[in-house]
Amino acid sequence: MKNSFDEKILEEANDWLNANQKVVLATVIQTWGSSPRQVGSRMIVNETGDFSGSVSGGCVESAVVRECIGLIKDNKPCKKIEFKVSNESAWEVGLACGGEIAVYLEQIN
Amino acid sequence: MKHSQLKEIIKKKASKIEFAIVTNLENGLSEIYEPGKSLSKEFEIHKEQIDNFFKLKKNGVIENTEIFIETYIRPIKVIIVGAVHIAQYLVDFAKSLNFEISIIDPRGYFASEQRFPDMKIINKWPDEAFKEIETNGNCALIALTHDPKIDDPALQHALNKKFYYIGALGSKKTHENRCQRLKEAGFNSDQINSINGPIGIKLGGRSAPEIALSIIAQLVSETYKK
Repeated sequence: MKNSFDEKILEEANDWLNANQKVVLATVIQTWGSSPRQVGSRMIVNETGDFSGSVSGGCVESAVVRECIGLIKDNKPCKKIEFKVSNESAWEVGLACGGEIAVYLEQIN
Repeated sequence: MKHSQLKEIIKKKASKIEFAIVTNLENGLSEIYEPGKSLSKEFEIHKEQIDNFFKLKKNGVIENTEIFIETYIRPIKVIIVGAVHIAQYLVDFAKSLNFEISIIDPRGYFASEQRFPDMKIINKWPDEAFKEIETNGNCALIALTHDPKIDDPALQHALNKKFYYIGALGSKKTHENRCQRLKEAGFNSDQINSINGPIGIKLGGRSAPEIALSIIAQLVSETYKK
C-alpha cells in the first residue's frame, strides 16, 4: 500500500512565497534503474540558492539549484531536465547509483 | 504553478481528501483533479488514464504524453486508545508520516488538548467513540492503556472490522490474559494471533520515546506488507 511520507515541502514553499521569495518547485517525474528517490519527490529553491527537500538524496541537488536559479533569472515558467549515470570523474554531476531521473522545474508565482 | 493553486493543494492535503495534480510538462499548465469530478478541456482526454493512476495509487507520466500525474490518496487512519505518555511521542513521530490520527480516552485529564495540541481527541469510551469514526480494513489500532476496561472493547471493534494492524501494549503476562479474555468473548485463535502483543518491534529500549519508535516502526512495516 502506498502511504507516502508527507515532507511538507509544499507547505514550506508557501511560507517562502509569503516571505516574498521567488520559488521554483522541482519534482521527480520519471526514474529509470536504481534511482534514490521515487517519483513525486520534491525540493524547492529560491532566488539566492537556498533549498529544502531533495530529488536524489544528494547526487544532483547542486545542479538542480543552478538550473532553478537560471529559471528565475530567465523568467521562464518551467523546464524539464534529465540526469544520467555519472562517470568516474570527480565532481561531475550524476547519479552514482547508476539510475537516471527526470526532474520538472516550475516557478510558483 | 500559481501561488493560489499551491494554497489550494495545501488546503486539500490538510482536509485529507483524495486528489491529483495534473501537469502538462510542455506548457506548464496544471490543475487539481478530484476523482469523480470533471477536468478542463486541456486535460479531459486523459481522464481515463488519470483515474487509472488513482486505482494503482501511483505517480508518473502518462505514456507517450507530456502529462504528469501526482496522486494524493487518503492517509491511513490510526486510532490510538490511551492518551498516555507514549502516545505523545507517537504523535510526534507520526507527524512526518502520512497518517490520520485519532486519540480515544474516556479519561479527560489524560486526553486534553494541552497534552495533544491540534489532534483529534475523543473523550469517550471506545464503544461510543467508534460511532464517530468510520473504520474498515484500512485502519490501525494502537491500544496503550493496558486497562482491559478501555483496551478490550477497542480491540474487539478492531478485530470485528478487520483492521490491518492491531497492537496492544502490555507485558507477555498481560497479553496472555488479554488473549484469554478475547477467547472467552468468542474470537478465534487466528484473530487473536493477529494482535501484535506485546506491541512494537524489539528495539530493546524501555523509555516512552523508544517504545513509541518501536511501535511506529512496526506500524510502517505492516503498512507496506499490505
